[in-house]
Amino acid sequence: MNMLQMLGSGLAIVFEPTMLLMVLFAVIIGTIFGALPGVSATMAVALGLPFTYTMEPIQAIVFLVAIYCSSITGGSISAILFKIPGVPSSAPTTFDGYPMAQRGEAGKALGVSLVTSAIGGLVSALAMFLLSDPLSKAALRFGPSEMFAVTFMGLSILTSLDSKNVLRTIISGLFGLLLATIGQDPMYGVQRLTFGSKQLLSGIEMIPVLIGIFAVTEVLNQTMETRRLKAEDGIDGGRVNTKMPKWAEWLSIKWVIVRSAIVGTVVGILPGAGATIASFLCYSTETKLSKHPEKFGTGIIDGIAASETANNAATGGAMVPLLSLGIPGGNAAAVMMSALVLKGVQLGPLLLRHQPDYLSATFVSMIIANIVMVFVAIAIAKVFAQILSVPYSILGPVIIMLAVIGSYATSMSIMDVKIMAIAGIAGVLFKVLKFNSAAMILGLVLGSIVEGNFSRAYTIARGNIFEMFNKPIAGIIMLVCIVALIYPLVGPTLKKRFGRKAKLTQE
Amino acid sequence: MRSPSSPSKKELTVLFELILNILLLLGLIYALAFNVLEAAVPVKVQKNPYALQPNVWPQVIMGLLIVCILINIFNIIRKNKGKPEFSLAQFGKSVPDFFKTKMFFGMLIVLVTSFILEPLGFMVTSFLFLVAFGYLLGDRKYGRLVIVALVITLFLYIVFGVLLQVNLPRGTVPFLRDFALWLEALL
Repeated sequence: MNMLQMLGSGLAIVFEPTMLLMVLFAVIIGTIFGALPGVSATMAVALGLPFTYTMEPIQAIVFLVAIYCSSITGGSISAILFKIPGVPSSAPTTFDGYPMAQRGEAGKALGVSLVTSAIGGLVSALAMFLLSDPLSKAALRFGPSEMFAVTFMGLSILTSLDSKNVLRTIISGLFGLLLATIGQDPMYGVQRLTFGSKQLLSGIEMIPVLIGIFAVTEVLNQTMETRRLKAEDGIDGGRVNTKMPKWAEWLSIKWVIVRSAIVGTVVGILPGAGATIASFLCYSTETKLSKHPEKFGTGIIDGIAASETANNAATGGAMVPLLSLGIPGGNAAAVMMSALVLKGVQLGPLLLRHQPDYLSATFVSMIIANIVMVFVAIAIAKVFAQILSVPYSILGPVIIMLAVIGSYATSMSIMDVKIMAIAGIAGVLFKVLKFNSAAMILGLVLGSIVEGNFSRAYTIARGNIFEMFNKPIAGIIMLVCIVALIYPLVGPTLKKRFGRKAKLTQE
Repeated sequence: MRSPSSPSKKELTVLFELILNILLLLGLIYALAFNVLEAAVPVKVQKNPYALQPNVWPQVIMGLLIVCILINIFNIIRKNKGKPEFSLAQFGKSVPDFFKTKMFFGMLIVLVTSFILEPLGFMVTSFLFLVAFGYLLGDRKYGRLVIVALVITLFLYIVFGVLLQVNLPRGTVPFLRDFALWLEALL
């Protein structure tokens, strides 16, 4: 199937009237969820899961992708108006968005944010469309060694997730890997770590754990913080009319947008790194590249453009490894992966070969979502004060009830609701332990894939681990993995030592 | 119920962190000793010298976890040793405070909800949960709380139970099950 045929089939799927309505609904709830502080993009996707149970797998991914893209954009509304990022990846947007709102330029800040978000999303959707197919074709030549190396790359990024807490992040990732071993082993079906429980024989269901960690934990944490949101001066009771900057202003930030769209997409492709890393990275890069770095943080459109282009660009990037290799590029992609696995979809390089519709429909959904969300977000910004007037004493419990339904509907099992509740409480304990929930999820999601491929590669290499990686692709990827794993551990020490040496030489 | 904001909260959290790490370590050692394999490995796998035995992968992960947690415990003790708040006696005094926090009651409500869902069914559980959690989050307008809980329960039921056809639990208590069936027939 060539590109045009694929595009046609994607359009046919998404432009089916019911599907189009569902995408519009997804964009509306995605933008609202994203704009609400305390509801992350992953949580928004997780809360969208119960709506997908009666859908076909392709429709489900189209729906969830639309929620994902629009929730990232929605996060900028509260970041600009209230200095509270609706989603973590909108945090850098507050640096310049909020000072602009304080000056009475909230409408303009929102205009820049929405348009650059859409550009970032569209560029990354195109990159996803062009890259996924060749990548999956290349991956078809991969054997278990190469597949192990690729999935291990997702884990090797663990040490970079939280550079100040490397040990605890590693523990979290290992904990996720351990949870993935519960149940039957992927090669021979021998039961492990079930503690005699029949319910654990099929392993830990991913969706209830994801929902528990991302939704329930967040609401439980909110019980300790009762905050009231107050819109900044210059905003008429939270009612904002979005304004577009002048043409000259757009031209002044064109390279910021181009650079952030490319970097954001690349960061999104890396397993484990997501929209948050992309937006911070692009913001700091633009500060360094700018002719007027001192103006960043004072309320300039460059800062908003860098952050918002990058975080939306990461959405398309995150879908590349998911669709081409069956490896999630981030937490939200992990939720989508769980939803597809639940529907019996065999993820991996063969998916796009046998069912290219997954790629084309996701592409069309992202294009539509990124365009429609601009108008939806403009409308939502107008009534944002009313949305925020819903007290958390109503919103919080509703989120948990949606989580209950989402977990239960996975397989109509009360056990899954109990797992969700336990995962939610465990998420709170994780916070006390300063462990990293994202790393744990990464370990849980990748665990059985990594083990299965390692086991197969080990048998093919006749039990010789060095032989396993004595192949150019597997060897190079493993080398990259080792550097990625070790650098955050030894990097600071090396920097200190070389820094001291350089100082002594200068003296 | 109160928020734990005593001056020594941070240090007490550190001690709690230490205790959790020790419990995690003990749990791992127990699982490593007794629960890695819970069924016999097929003979052909046992005899295949090139097959990765099913116990190896979890054992390696558990081994790494035990080493990392031991280092973490060592780090926590090294950083906090000598601090007056970093004592079991002080921690013991603060434990009752934790059981008065909103966080604890929130956890309890979520846990209880997951257990009563089967016997009481979706409708009753949802209503009770929404009222209890709303109260926990500070809503004291009881009339509004009850009406909102009722409306949201019905809304969720109509969206998921009726429109999306998710088979929401009806409960195992006979009269509650009859009530759910009656309501379903009505909707």
